[in-house]
Amino acid sequence: MAVGWVLHTGVLIDDWAVDGHYPLFGLRETLSFLAWALVAGYAIVLYHYRAQAVGAFAMPLVSILTFVALLTSQDPTATAAAFSTTWLFPIHTTLLVFAYAAFFIVFMASVMYLVQERELKLKTFSAFFHRLPSLSTVNEIATHSAAIGLTLLTLGLVAGMFWSWSLHGKMWRNDPKEIFAVLTWALYFGLAMYRSTANWRGRRAAWLGVLGFVLVLCTFLAAPLFGSYHVFGLALM
Amino acid sequence: MSIILIGVNHKTAPVEVRERLAFDDATCAAGLRNLVDGQVVREGLIVSTCNRVEILSATANDEIDLGAGRVTQFLDTSGNLPPGFLKDHLYRHTDEEAVRHLFRVASSLDSMVVGEPQVLGQVRHAYSLAVEAGTAGRILNRLVHHTFRVAKRVRNETGIAASAVSISYMAVELGKKIFHSLKGSTVMLIGAGEMAELSAKHLVNAGASRVLIANRTEAAARHLANEIGAATTVPFDQLDEHLHEADLVICSTGAPDYVLTEAHVRKAIRRRRKRPFCLIDISVPRNIDPSAGKVPNVFLFDIDDLEHVISSNIREREREAERAELIVQSEVMQFQQTLRLMDIGPSIGALREKFQDVARAEFAKQRKRLGPLTKEQEAAVESLLMSTVNKISHPLLNQMRRFSGASNADAASAQNDQFDLEE
Repeated sequence: MAVGWVLHTGVLIDDWAVDGHYPLFGLRETLSFLAWALVAGYAIVLYHYRAQAVGAFAMPLVSILTFVALLTSQDPTATAAAFSTTWLFPIHTTLLVFAYAAFFIVFMASVMYLVQERELKLKTFSAFFHRLPSLSTVNEIATHSAAIGLTLLTLGLVAGMFWSWSLHGKMWRNDPKEIFAVLTWALYFGLAMYRSTANWRGRRAAWLGVLGFVLVLCTFLAAPLFGSYHVFGLALM
Repeated sequence: MSIILIGVNHKTAPVEVRERLAFDDATCAAGLRNLVDGQVVREGLIVSTCNRVEILSATANDEIDLGAGRVTQFLDTSGNLPPGFLKDHLYRHTDEEAVRHLFRVASSLDSMVVGEPQVLGQVRHAYSLAVEAGTAGRILNRLVHHTFRVAKRVRNETGIAASAVSISYMAVELGKKIFHSLKGSTVMLIGAGEMAELSAKHLVNAGASRVLIANRTEAAARHLANEIGAATTVPFDQLDEHLHEADLVICSTGAPDYVLTEAHVRKAIRRRRKRPFCLIDISVPRNIDPSAGKVPNVFLFDIDDLEHVISSNIREREREAERAELIVQSEVMQFQQTLRLMDIGPSIGALREKFQDVARAEFAKQRKRLGPLTKEQEAAVESLLMSTVNKISHPLLNQMRRFSGASNADAASAQNDQFDLEE
């Protein structure tokens, strides 16, 4: 895994050097970058919590992302010029991709929490049960990742607003993606507040973590589903 | 060299027989020195636990029967038993079977409770006694170290020891599942029964730093507190006041009705600022109101729940044991290769030396005809001879090594460090 990640980092840097634009542009690069960010996030979780089981969820997704990225071909250079005018755009996208990765980790930890809580309450332990990290570990992972994700999301959205402002003079354009992003933000903000008012929030917070990720998916897929102008670089401006 | 393993275990011999054969540290050391004569029995090691007495020894390939006879006789005399008495109880494994048996024992596949962790420590102790007595040599050193590796692999790669199979240990397992670590946690015992005591000891071993004991009769609580060590007593009527301090509660009083109601538990969880709470009720009739288990973040287990989990854990261990057998199987094959290599190794070395001796002898015979030579010239001629001999014999020796099955990295490195054949 470490080897793959280092190679991936190398390819991303190489891509940057060769194409002359930041390697986060268009669907293909976004997916690839997201996979890279997920592995980085997983490595941090592994290092801090020794929670290998997280990999059982993260690695298949990383494989799918990488695979889809490979299948998606495009020629981004055509539209890249429009976006490379300001440094705010890569900051906006990078922060958000990392926020997505953090929210995915919240989602995984929440699912693990819910599965185990249910098994503990019902007193029937599946074989998988013994391999999952403890309740307190997944609870902590969810809490910390949500806080990190929220910070990144806030900064990313602010960067996006300023970028939009510098380009069009408007911060807000009532775009479906923007609306979902704000909903997502509100939900995670609520989750962070909810978690911080008690020592432990357990099941409800875990459900919020799952719901939040559904919103993240809606935001991510807003363009194809609801017709947003945020089309991963193939801008309809 | 051959490996012989002879012994009895809980399946082949009743406790009356096992106890007569058992060794303690002192008798074990003396016994080993007595058994290993350096002639027939070259190396020896004694594993003596409450479930087994086994003697592992190494003999020359053609002296297996002689060695086995000597070991059996040794057991007869040390147990003070008439010859033939042990015939129906002893098992005898040689070479591959002996290796497999040892691997299985150390991996806890041959234990009464499969997956129990003590046996590896016992094998480790047996080995250190043999090292002290000087009876662990080239073969047993290799074998025992390989055994430790196998046991570690089995533990890490299978779930054979992942789940608790006793009620007293379930508390530790549940605690770890909920709190990750029991370090610094507080345990409360309601009732001072034997099961509570055993569980508390496991919990303290696992890191619990504080034990609160509430019992109707204060004296029994105090007695138990002394037994456990880091424990304080709590008056039974103030139970409610201290309940929230505990992370894990074990309830085992003889009370006819509920000692903890749902209201008690709700209050405690509020005071804990929603931190989870693990309640274990091993009393019959039950002492904790089952409806307390519905409170969020409260995990309540009664005796039936525990029994149910334990029986499913046992089934789980049995499934995992099958996977462990596969690991053992592949490791036995690997060790057999190492062993073959150790046998062929010395002969390769000896052969090479023989070739070099021939070259040196020829050089000495012809030396006169070369006339006076400087030291450097003399050294140059000798190195020329040696490298020629080595180069010519190299493919042949390699062939021998290959035939002995030196295909894996472990065996190859073993051969290199032991016989210095690296060129």
